[in-house]
Amino acid sequence: MRLKQIATLAVALVVALSLAIGSAQSARQTTLVIGGDWTDLLTIDPGVSYEFSGTVIIDNIYERLVKFDGADLSKVVPGLAESWEIAERDGGGTSITFHLKDAKFSTGRTVKSSDVVFSFERAIQIGGPSSFLFTDVAGMEIGSTVALDDKTVRLDLPASINPSIVLNLLTFNIGGVMDQAEVEPNFQDGDYGQAWLNDHSAGSGPYMLERWDRSAQVVLVANPEYATPGSITRVILRYMQEANAQRTALESGEIDIAYDYTPEAFQAAESNANLKTYKTDTFQMTYLGLNSGPGAPFEDNRVRDAVRYAVDQQAIIDSLLLGLGRRMQTIIPAGLMGADSTIYYERDVEKAKSLLAEAGATGLTVEFLIPTGACGGGIPCADLAAKVQADLAEAGITANIKQTVASELYTIYRAQQAQIVLAAWSPDYPDPDGNATPLSNYDASSIAWRNVWNNPEAGRLATEGATTIDPAVRAEIYGQLTRLVATEGPYDMLYQPYKPIVTSAKVEGFVRSAGGDVELDRISKLP
Amino acid sequence: MLAFILRRVGSLVFVVWGVGFAAFFISQVVPADPAAAALGNNARPAQVAAYREKRGLDKPPWQQYLLYMRSLATGDLGRSLRTGRPILNDLRDFFPATFELTIAAMLFALALGIPAGILAAVKQDEPLDLGVRTLALVGGATPVYWLAILMLQLFHAKLGWLPGPGRLDAYLLAPPRVTGILTLDALLAGDWEVLGDALRHLLLPALVLGAFSTALVARMVRSAMLEVLSQDFVRTAKAKGLPDTKVVLKHALRNAALPVLTVLGSLLGALLTGAVLTETIFSWPGLGSYATASATALDFPAVMGVTLIAGLAYSVINLLVDVLYVVFDPRIAYA
Repeated sequence: MRLKQIATLAVALVVALSLAIGSAQSARQTTLVIGGDWTDLLTIDPGVSYEFSGTVIIDNIYERLVKFDGADLSKVVPGLAESWEIAERDGGGTSITFHLKDAKFSTGRTVKSSDVVFSFERAIQIGGPSSFLFTDVAGMEIGSTVALDDKTVRLDLPASINPSIVLNLLTFNIGGVMDQAEVEPNFQDGDYGQAWLNDHSAGSGPYMLERWDRSAQVVLVANPEYATPGSITRVILRYMQEANAQRTALESGEIDIAYDYTPEAFQAAESNANLKTYKTDTFQMTYLGLNSGPGAPFEDNRVRDAVRYAVDQQAIIDSLLLGLGRRMQTIIPAGLMGADSTIYYERDVEKAKSLLAEAGATGLTVEFLIPTGACGGGIPCADLAAKVQADLAEAGITANIKQTVASELYTIYRAQQAQIVLAAWSPDYPDPDGNATPLSNYDASSIAWRNVWNNPEAGRLATEGATTIDPAVRAEIYGQLTRLVATEGPYDMLYQPYKPIVTSAKVEGFVRSAGGDVELDRISKLP
Repeated sequence: MLAFILRRVGSLVFVVWGVGFAAFFISQVVPADPAAAALGNNARPAQVAAYREKRGLDKPPWQQYLLYMRSLATGDLGRSLRTGRPILNDLRDFFPATFELTIAAMLFALALGIPAGILAAVKQDEPLDLGVRTLALVGGATPVYWLAILMLQLFHAKLGWLPGPGRLDAYLLAPPRVTGILTLDALLAGDWEVLGDALRHLLLPALVLGAFSTALVARMVRSAMLEVLSQDFVRTAKAKGLPDTKVVLKHALRNAALPVLTVLGSLLGALLTGAVLTETIFSWPGLGSYATASATALDFPAVMGVTLIAGLAYSVINLLVDVLYVVFDPRIAYA
């Protein structure tokens, strides 16, 4: 290329660049931009989605029969159903009859009870990662959902199922109702329209999908058919993997909400007048799983107790999480019915040592399995593990850290092969049973099983808690269960993290529930 | 020449097959279960088993390999375990962003590296040469992730001259997708605002990604030019009274181009596949971030797809370089 040509090109480049400066000022007030690491977003199909990122999007596109009101997860409120009643069925079991409100899909069609039947049965037929909520937890099958007329739909449940648990799980993505007439013609190769639903939407919520540019952005626009639209007409979820990138983008006004802040950056943001900080709740628990099987290092409960006495929870929260977490020692986290905030173990290194001596486990050496990346509250798992390792060493337990990618860790953990594992748990649905059964019932083949802890009493209490309807009796059962698992179970609970979220000071009405719901239509932006 | 190209294309198939074969068997010895990765922490054992059966993961490795090769022969790369989409669709989505970034980085490397190299050679051992050589050393030794964060902090956060991560301002609408290369699509749509913004977004990541290549190109050009400049024909050209610029740019540079071309081929390949860090920090939705996400999710079909594409790109670029040799130097002939 000649020099002259190069010079011409350079000038053209400079002109093009300067043209763009100061552009893109329009429509800022009705557009909301959220920066976050959305790499876990795999689908926008409510019948399949099982990720937190999916919840933010799907719950604003698809209405469920019932929902929670903002961050209050104590009771369900009307969604697509304006009312419902629970009745005993002849021959055992219960049924919930829902009466639908007047609503329209973004396609312009009216929401009918047949759409509810279609959506629920479709989710069961697909058998996606969240389908067990319907089939296992709710005991639903094809034919369980019955359209009585255009506005009434009945859900039949077997006798072993607690209808209040079912109502709670219907608030989740899988309960999203879609327009049958729009989705059904787009079934391809037996995929029930899954491919189509990733680039289109057919819901009755306040927003609809405009486009999903994989790994770049998801764009939602207001649903013109929605009865009570909010002031934000366009929502853009931008992929920003780096917490640092989110921080600079928020400070420069490029985004309005940042979903991933490190504890240090969050602390700095708290004193910045241009920003608002939110410690939003989660149901997540970060814990140590202790293999309690025959011949395993933690078979003796005194050794497990020694771990619980040795690890300094408060120091983890103060120095690593910088306050972005709360202490908890039981299997039901704060915010759920049955939550137990009792502190059973204060740090006591001498006690831990004597327990180890009693159990004949002095000089215990174990392999400590930890995942790569960030643990609850956004702190590097390696830092957290190092702290735990140091605490255990003080009590005389040598924990050799082995760090692997999460998928490899799960493979080992699932095969009951971990000795101590650093792991996290979130309930699949906002009900105490979402934790109680997997964490205490060995027969559920979940977490209690992975740590080879088989306690028939705990299993019995978990089953009783799941099937009891009277809330007072349930709370009593969960009280017994949490105490039992806290003092004898195969866990050392470390903390319940907050999810730190930072917004521009101009953003009003931001609320995130512990389940990950954000009602975007309730958000507004000051000029 | 034609016979040469055909032969090279033939060996290219073998190279790509070999790369794919290696990737497949590495994926088999990794001690982790893709089903566990896909279904996450809370999955029930029955779910895991059903998943494995549905995706054919319960079959012995050789059988999985034969099945894979059979569908590959029909141009089907399979479905991603993670995204659930045909891998070809995923690659079509992610490759253009990486391609755009790589080409931009390459242009930087050439636009800065060649003049710097020439100047350094002409002014050998003068302060200018020393400056270029120092910069080249620093550029070649600077870690990409450090440079990326530094540049973002300086030009985006502190000075506010350039936009932050991403390909386009969130408030701008991307033009209709034709090639997936945003700048080209904007140009095709005649959307100057988007074009300008996309170029501004491209500037920093391309500069960061291209820093190493710029340094390398500058050093290559310098040493090649030094060699040529000391040859007789240059002295003759000067003796004929030709102006210095003409001697340097026309006579010497053309002869110095050959060694530079060699390194360019492998650089481009390395850039295409090595953009992972830059893409992560700049939230660039390219092949690098796709490959990382796929690898951590043990999404082997996707990893295979990326590997094959990378192998193919590398081979094709090297073939092009070989062909370009002939164009630059008619003395080279391929039998």
